[in-house]
Amino acid sequence: MVFDDIYKTYWNKVFRICMGYVNDHDWAKDIAQETFVTVWQQLPKFRNESAIGTWIFRIASNQCLRQIERQNRMPRSEMPEQIADHKEPDKEPQMQFLYKCIAELPETDRLIISLELEDVKQAEIAKIVGLSETNIRVKVHRIKERLAKKFENYEH
Amino acid sequence: MSTEMDFKALWNKQAPTNIPDTKELLAKAGKLKKAARNKLIGLNLVLISTVAFITYIGFNIDNEHITTKIGIVLIAIAIVSYLAASNQIMPLLFKTNLQTSSQEYLNQLIRIKRKHEFLNKVMINIYFVLLAAGMFLYMLQFAIRMSVFWAIFWYVVTFAWIAFSWFYLRPRGIKKKQKPLNEMIARLEEVNGQLNS
Repeated sequence: MVFDDIYKTYWNKVFRICMGYVNDHDWAKDIAQETFVTVWQQLPKFRNESAIGTWIFRIASNQCLRQIERQNRMPRSEMPEQIADHKEPDKEPQMQFLYKCIAELPETDRLIISLELEDVKQAEIAKIVGLSETNIRVKVHRIKERLAKKFENYEH
Repeated sequence: MSTEMDFKALWNKQAPTNIPDTKELLAKAGKLKKAARNKLIGLNLVLISTVAFITYIGFNIDNEHITTKIGIVLIAIAIVSYLAASNQIMPLLFKTNLQTSSQEYLNQLIRIKRKHEFLNKVMINIYFVLLAAGMFLYMLQFAIRMSVFWAIFWYVVTFAWIAFSWFYLRPRGIKKKQKPLNEMIARLEEVNGQLNS
């Protein structure tokens, strides 16, 4: 697969996973770009040991986790409200609420649920995260329950 | 809004974002590479000029005693090895592989931070030992010229200062460097723990 095709196919998926992790449009774009820089650099060495999607999502997930080292960047959810809400007017309130709920989850859960919502198979998520499939299934179930509860409160 | 299909449907309703041009992406890659290279060049310049400066001063002021020269060399080695270890060797040792699973990646980061913490301690100790030995030898030449009283006084003052830096400044320096590292390790371990909960 040529880089350009990979880029076009996966940009949106990767961006949305990053967005799930940081809930900040510009920051997510940065992480997604860094992911594709790595993909671009490592692609010649890619040996098809795993599906290309799994490989790309692994890099994206680790680029997200790497942000822990750059703590000086404040997550939007912790910013004062008037600064936090300045962009992304086109996003539906429900979608914004979903991102907000995901942002409140622990880091690894954010990745797992974003991958799940992106329709990545649970067997693949297991390979990306490094847990067993059963473990992932249980985690996804628990996270969805938590999200559902938050949405119930939101709607009523 | 409580069934699982609804979350996926909502997620998939998002309008696709604009894909940045590949040119922008490659420019970014180039910029990162350039920044890393410039940093390396800058650090090397600092290292070389430090050594040049110290040896120049040292060998021009006095060339009577071999101990003075050894002293100067030790001080130079102390400074250079400290700078080289913290700025050049460590980043090389601490490269990560982004292509592993998240769990393995987090473990990599934790291992690296631990190694970093250990190396910091070792390097600060080496730095202080070399510096103290270097100063001792360097000062011999001046002490020889003094009367016994002043020579002893001179060394007492100097070693009081070295003791002060060894027992007070060194632990403080180590602590100052360790604190953010320890916090980072704790944070990474916490995230890693999420996977096992």
